[in-house]
Amino acid sequence: MSEMWINMGPQHPMTHGLWNLRVKVDGELIVDADPEIGYLHRGIEKICEYRRYNEVVTLMDRTCYVAGIAWEQLYIMAAEEALNINPPPRAEYVRVLSQELQRLSSHVMWYAAYVQDIGLMTPFLYGMRDRDLILDLFQSYTGARMTYEFMRVGGVRNDVPVGFTDRCRKVMDWFDQRLPEYEKVCDNSTIFLERTKGIGVLKAADCVNDGVTGPMLRAAGVDRDLRRDRPYSVYPELDFDVAVYDAPDCYGRYRVRMEEMKQSVRIVRQVLDWLDRNPGPVLAEKVPRFVGTPSPPPGKEIYVERRGYPKGRGFSAMEEPHGEAMAYIINEGAEHPYRAKLRSPVFVNIAASKDYLVGYRVSDIPAIMGSVDICVGESDR
Amino acid sequence: MVETLYSVAHTLVVLLLGLLGPLVPGSGAYGPFLAVWLSYLVVGALVFAVSLVNVLVFIWWERKLLGRFMDRRGAMHVGYAGLLQNLADGLKLFRKQPFSPREADDLGYYFGPTAYLVISIAILGFLPISFGFSGGAVPLSLLVALALFSFAPLFIFIASWSSNNKYSLIGGMRTAAQLVAYEIPLLLSVVAVVALTGSFDLNVIVGDQAANGWFAVPLILGLIIFFIAMLAEVERIPFDLPEAEAELVEGWSTEYGGMLFAFTMLGDYVRALIGSYLIVLLFLGGWSMPWGLSSFPLSGIVFFQLKTYAVFAIFIWVRASLPRVRTDQLLQIGWKRMLPLAMVNIIWALALVVWGYPVIHWPAL
Amino acid sequence: MTDLTLATLLPALESRFGPDVKVLPSRKEVLGVVQVKGERLVEVARFLHDQGTFTHCALVSGVDWIEHIEVLYHLWSDALKGYLELTVETAPEEPHVPSVTSVWRGANWHERETWDMLGVRFDGHPDLRRVLMPEGYRFHPLRKSFELHEPEELEVKARHV
Repeated sequence: MSEMWINMGPQHPMTHGLWNLRVKVDGELIVDADPEIGYLHRGIEKICEYRRYNEVVTLMDRTCYVAGIAWEQLYIMAAEEALNINPPPRAEYVRVLSQELQRLSSHVMWYAAYVQDIGLMTPFLYGMRDRDLILDLFQSYTGARMTYEFMRVGGVRNDVPVGFTDRCRKVMDWFDQRLPEYEKVCDNSTIFLERTKGIGVLKAADCVNDGVTGPMLRAAGVDRDLRRDRPYSVYPELDFDVAVYDAPDCYGRYRVRMEEMKQSVRIVRQVLDWLDRNPGPVLAEKVPRFVGTPSPPPGKEIYVERRGYPKGRGFSAMEEPHGEAMAYIINEGAEHPYRAKLRSPVFVNIAASKDYLVGYRVSDIPAIMGSVDICVGESDR
Repeated sequence: MVETLYSVAHTLVVLLLGLLGPLVPGSGAYGPFLAVWLSYLVVGALVFAVSLVNVLVFIWWERKLLGRFMDRRGAMHVGYAGLLQNLADGLKLFRKQPFSPREADDLGYYFGPTAYLVISIAILGFLPISFGFSGGAVPLSLLVALALFSFAPLFIFIASWSSNNKYSLIGGMRTAAQLVAYEIPLLLSVVAVVALTGSFDLNVIVGDQAANGWFAVPLILGLIIFFIAMLAEVERIPFDLPEAEAELVEGWSTEYGGMLFAFTMLGDYVRALIGSYLIVLLFLGGWSMPWGLSSFPLSGIVFFQLKTYAVFAIFIWVRASLPRVRTDQLLQIGWKRMLPLAMVNIIWALALVVWGYPVIHWPAL
Repeated sequence: MTDLTLATLLPALESRFGPDVKVLPSRKEVLGVVQVKGERLVEVARFLHDQGTFTHCALVSGVDWIEHIEVLYHLWSDALKGYLELTVETAPEEPHVPSVTSVWRGANWHERETWDMLGVRFDGHPDLRRVLMPEGYRFHPLRKSFELHEPEELEVKARHV
């Protein structure tokens, strides 16, 4: 049989979103791949130039539907750099709490989707069920389950409610039980190991040159995690290990994510302890009015007017659940950012897909692309 | 002479003809032929109805059990505990307009799934669900059933090729490769059973097991091979590559909708039913039960169905707990593991025969 | 190069490329900001990649400053644990800079996106197609000349058509 191109997408069970993986197959063997994205492009970077700083947060939630709050913080960190505002420490801790809960929920979601891609139906529901517990936590302090609109320039919208830390600890205890069970389901399954080991190999040097980041990079043995290597927020004060695995294949990526979930639980516990001990404000006192902060706390309206506000540029990079995300904000003294650029890790990971798909089989495509953890919302922005 | 389904039907038809015959002038000349044909029709309709009801309950059983495995409830709303859900789904699919894609070859497109379902249901006519409860005692019923069983890849390939879709085509090719690969260990493990009984008649095979104990004990290896090969033959989850929904959307049935899709799905479940039947008939003693439990009237049918559902529960269990294998792995398992094991199994069966495994032929019907 | 530090790297860069690179005042979130002339970009990139351990091209982006277009590169070094910002200025009419895909393959799609969004041509890029917008789209949306209409405005327009 001669070679043929197959469009896997834009609507296809493997894609987990709206993109098109064109693969050229020779029988079952993949000989070429050409990913196409852009089906979900909403022009978020352009819209940012027409929104006030705090209004952009709404857009950031929409970039990625499984890690909305990560993008909020990414943007807010860059915007705070550009506007030269420092959030209070408690706000930083609440942010890190959100980050790690989000990483946990995103990875659990990944796990659920991944095992389902491979054909294992049962843990899919286990994963989705446990993810709901985290979404409940999010709901209890941000009021939303997916699009939080929680972060503000200079802090976060509100503090965690009374009794939240205990509830959160209970969920973390539950995850302590569940995570080993997740691993058991996969590691005890010979077929799972056969399907993932040695599949979708992208060696460390190629990862670095291709700009691939996140669990894919760490699975290849490159020990890089921006939370530790380029500390932001309060991560330097927290104790955690970076999950690295020395198998640049789907199995390595699975192991890295499993380990990261455990580390996230560990970080969340530390943050909860800190939050219990250190009450305080969660919004900076001096926030320029033009960023559009709604309903300031009474008696604290020491707002700076826009006129003559210093210009600046802000660059932030953070370890998002999918990889290294970056934001670049240029503040030209106007109420809106002059330019907002977002770097999505998924964008780059998809771009490199030819390098880790060619030579494998059509049946491997879900296993490989699933292990990349694709969120098209954030790659297309 | 134990009454078979056919004899029951024949008695009824003769009675009916005796009542109606005088009303039709000149019918007496071909009355006996008419009686034979009508009784076959009645038997066929009965088998068809029973097997379709069984298939619907099978799907329900799968939904509920799979739901329990996954911490959910499965279908709940239509009928008691969702029993009528499948009927509702079937009704919905029945109401849909049949269509064919513009680029598809209409003849093959319509013929493929229809023939797939028909040939699958036809097998059920040869499988006795209790003593004599089949279309009639066919001396080679096992052989016919397996021959018809292996027709499926042809129709699947026709359906997939004529729907003119790349996913369908790949799915069809996978089906052909997979079914051919697993046909052989399947048949070889049957050979072992046949070697022990010396007959292709399923009634005899079950009778033998009733007398000498189920073949699951001496031929445990054969049972395992048959079970795994059957999983592949009915395209269930560790081997459901032809319709691997993660990469091939819906595999060879991607382009089908409405009733034609219902045909493909029904065909799959009919084949699953046949697979469970065959496992019960060949290895688990059919309708026979130890301690004379199956001696009550009609209890054979009940036990047979119970065993069938238990076997299918294992199918479902496997589906709930195993991921899908890859094409090359599937073929490797088939050719490199199953085939030698099946040969070993045959040698073992022959050795049993040589050592004098009690082969007692059940009196022929 | 184990004893590599930024204090040695940036002067080395300046001495090697002379007036073609200019070290700009740094900001606290990046290691340094270096302005490069477009024609020497690939050489600078190669130097930074080989001698400066900047093996990871994290981000290529662009800003439309109306009088010129600025193309930004953010490079990560595992040894220095930080990002270096390279900026290249190019003319707003027919903007073009050399492609760095020969140094970092990962720059491929970033450059495609920058071409897509800002219309900057990357000379020597292997496959410069649009990536987010459809092929055949007439605009480069992140140029300041591309006006975004508020939804209300569009509604008003639609009503008056």
